[in-house]
Amino acid sequence: MVDIIVLVKQMHDLEQIKPDPSTGEPMLEKSPFKMETISENAVEAAVQLKEKYGGKVTALLFGNSDAGQIMKKAYAMGCDDGYVITEYTGNNHFYTSQVLAEKIKTIKHDLILLGNQSADSVTGMLAGRLSAILGEPVLGNAVSIEIEGEDAKIKRVLEKNNYYVKTHLPAIISVTQEINEPRLPPVMRIMQAGRKPINSEKTTVQEIKNFTVVSNKAPISERKKLIFEDVDKGIEEVVKVIKEEMR
Amino acid sequence: MKFLTFSEDNQLLAQMITFLRSRGEVDAATSSDRDMPIEYGAGVVYALRGNAQYDSISAALKNLFESSGYDAVVIASTVLGREVAGHLSVGIGSDVAPELSSLEFKDGKAITKRWGYGGKTVIEETWNARVFTLLPGITDAEKNGSESTLKDIQLGDSRVEIISEEPKNLGGGNLESAKIIVSVGRGLGKKEGIEVAQKLADAVGGEIAGSRPVCLDYQWLSEDRQVGLSGKKVKPKVYIALGISGQIQHIAGMRGSKIVIAINKDKSAPIFEESDYGIVGDLYQVAPKLTEKLAA
Ligand SMILES: Cc1cc2nc3c(=O)[nH]c(=O)nc-3n(C[C@H](O)[C@H](O)[C@H](O)COP(=O)(O)OP(=O)(O)OC[C@H]3O[C@@H](n4cnc5c(N)ncnc54)[C@H](O)[C@@H]3O)c2cc1C
Ligand SMILES: Nc1ncnc2c1ncn2[C@@H]1O[C@H](COP(=O)(O)O)[C@@H](O)[C@H]1O
Repeated sequence: MVDIIVLVKQMHDLEQIKPDPSTGEPMLEKSPFKMETISENAVEAAVQLKEKYGGKVTALLFGNSDAGQIMKKAYAMGCDDGYVITEYTGNNHFYTSQVLAEKIKTIKHDLILLGNQSADSVTGMLAGRLSAILGEPVLGNAVSIEIEGEDAKIKRVLEKNNYYVKTHLPAIISVTQEINEPRLPPVMRIMQAGRKPINSEKTTVQEIKNFTVVSNKAPISERKKLIFEDVDKGIEEVVKVIKEEMR
Repeated sequence: MKFLTFSEDNQLLAQMITFLRSRGEVDAATSSDRDMPIEYGAGVVYALRGNAQYDSISAALKNLFESSGYDAVVIASTVLGREVAGHLSVGIGSDVAPELSSLEFKDGKAITKRWGYGGKTVIEETWNARVFTLLPGITDAEKNGSESTLKDIQLGDSRVEIISEEPKNLGGGNLESAKIIVSVGRGLGKKEGIEVAQKLADAVGGEIAGSRPVCLDYQWLSEDRQVGLSGKKVKPKVYIALGISGQIQHIAGMRGSKIVIAINKDKSAPIFEESDYGIVGDLYQVAPKLTEKLAA
């Protein structure tokens, strides 16, 4: 039996974010929220561990008003329970780690699963910060996870080598996108999940913000965008360009 | 400013020392003993010995930080580096400015740049932070004629135990300094397709690279040839994308290219928005013709 807390982030659908043509700033209103990509891998990993070893999966999401539908997706994928902490003010890993840690301390668990780097803010700061705040060890960048008695064991993928590493439970494990292919829950489960209540609460942790955004804009693409549908003409032009650069 | 910089990769450490030495005094710490970066301008290079995991390294850096009066700890953004940075930031009660492609200091504040929304935007910020992670390739490593003092530090215990190590089969190509890159995506369809791309690369004296699915999921190419947000950031004179759709996470790695050429059979593929020249067609027809004409 392993009781697991899985950390689920929400993000704007990145593919639908377009820059405002006049300011270059992302038009976020037009991009709906969805479950952050690597959080989805973390949920899948948590549910697979439950299916193998038994136990309970609790999803934890620090988000805003749209968080309910994302939590429902986590339920449909197999999470047993879930908490939404509301009034998310945006990416701030310093504060997010404090808010999540405060809630985690109240939930019995053997494992905390999370993404290695979220697909939108890509900070990868949460595993290390939670480890230090909670005093639990991290096994990072897992492409496979096993539980052996009181220990968790993972295959850890680094830039130059891979390792098998282990530690005692309770522990924190960050997963990569390659660990699994998240399931598409069947319609029945989606309907059941829709009826399941969502626990929603506010945090008592005061926000500290150590940064100020000066600007946040799409870089301007100055590409020529000469697109050839006539293949032979295209080849002729491209060969000229490449030969010029090779000189 | 007095910096302490860390990486487990001495090539990245040499880059960071080079980058930081024009911004202040630098000492460096490494957990690797291959190619010690002692000629790049660091005052002291600390060799961390023992079980080098994020927790034992973080504890050692915290000790150095608190006993030697550093203003900032700058860490290379690798899997281990990010874990160390997060852990250390709690230990020294600071924030971390992460994943930076630019870092300057003015009036005690850090002025930074990093990607936002998975590579869609560039965020410029000012930070009140003592810990920073820098993207690999922040600058080229350059020796400066000085020689650092080497000091050994014995690491304390870690709660992470290594059971076994598995070396990877890395291609070893040098994408960061390549003049021409031929990059392949899932549109290749099969491993044997690599040959078509390799021939084109050979004809132009270029390096071969790939998108994330090609390098990680299918392993048609070795992992160190992945270009993108979570791969290499490249800036060749010519970047030729074959069967790559142009998702933003890929673009984030090749935006610095001088000229981008894309071959894709889908006219509406987003890669064409990031290209100077595009050919709408099957790469298996276009690439061999290109190879033939370029070799001639
Ligand atoms: C956190 C995070 C980090 C990521 N980091 C990276 C990264 O560093 N690098 C990266 O590349 N991706 C990264 N990704 C993945 C990225 O989102 C895309 O999934 C990936 O780039 C798609 O790869 P692709 O273009 O090869 O494949 P696809 O998107 O499947 O595109 C294949 C293309 O090939 C074309 N095609 C098919 N057959 C042919 C043919 N015969 N001839 C010509 N064209 C053909 C198709 O029209 C299509 O456009 C990351 C994702 C996340 C969430
Ligand atoms: N607001 C949040 N609520 C819950 N989990 C989060 C939140 N932000 C980040 N996470 C988790 O932390 C992982 C890494 O995110 P990051 O540290 O932003 O790169 C994500 O994949 C999630 O699993």
